[in-house]
Amino acid sequence: MSAVSAMQQWLAVEHEAVWLYSLVGARFSALTGQARRTRDAHLVARDDLLDRLHKAGAEPVATGLSYDVGPLKTQDEARQAVRDVEGRIAAATLALVGEASGATRGLATTALRRAALTDLAWGGEPVAFPGLP
Amino acid sequence: MVISRRALIATGAGAVVLAGAVVVADATHRLDDAADAVGLRPKARPVRSDDALIVAVAKDQNRVLSAIESTAAKHTGLGASLEPFATIAQAHVNAVGGPSTVPPARPVDADPVVALRTLATTLSSASTARAKDAAKAVSPDLARVLSSMSAGLAQCSRGLGALA
Repeated sequence: MSAVSAMQQWLAVEHEAVWLYSLVGARFSALTGQARRTRDAHLVARDDLLDRLHKAGAEPVATGLSYDVGPLKTQDEARQAVRDVEGRIAAATLALVGEASGATRGLATTALRRAALTDLAWGGEPVAFPGLP
Repeated sequence: MVISRRALIATGAGAVVLAGAVVVADATHRLDDAADAVGLRPKARPVRSDDALIVAVAKDQNRVLSAIESTAAKHTGLGASLEPFATIAQAHVNAVGGPSTVPPARPVDADPVVALRTLATTLSSASTARAKDAAKAVSPDLARVLSSMSAGLAQCSRGLGALA
């Protein structure tokens, strides 16, 4: 795997995160504020990745029309879906850490830490090695 | 300091690689039998700068563990709350080679709230340090472990802050 393909995998999950937080915020009024703030952070990450991939001469992966995140009938299901996507972002950023160096590795490390803290904010517990299987 | 240079090296590229894998490099730079046991692909031998990095990280992570244990000993009422953080800190120590000699922990404040905040700051600083260490690592797998450790320490710091 190259750094570009690792970024593409990360971008694919960022697309999903933007979609998911919009859905969660619209469906559960009690979560709207938190979902909006988190979505905004993911929008920044997504746009940054799009920019980096364009500069690298790559065609960024496209966003899906929708994603299979389960029924999302309760706040608990919404929190679980959010935590699942943050876990996959953590894994994707950790993959990039190993493929990149310099500023790109730093970007991935920062994003991994952000995903771990977001997981905490949505009901997760601290773990020793976020992103690792 | 007596420390092995054993480091847990696990790759984290989602489902595609080496789930649960542990690569261990022993003092003679040979892959440990554990690597063969889990069917890992051959890894590059560790470089000396990474060896020094692991030793420094082990020392700092032992200091973090010592700070948590000292706080739990001083404030026995916090023991149960601090146990998950001690478990994580122990996992971090194990990942970079186990116990090493560290200076005695600084005295713990008599006020439990202050003590918790101090501990949160200690772990936050360690998180920042591990992120910088990840940037320095030559081995991609070591970089991943240190980066992940940084994220785990950030979670712990946030969790301790919430307890205070």
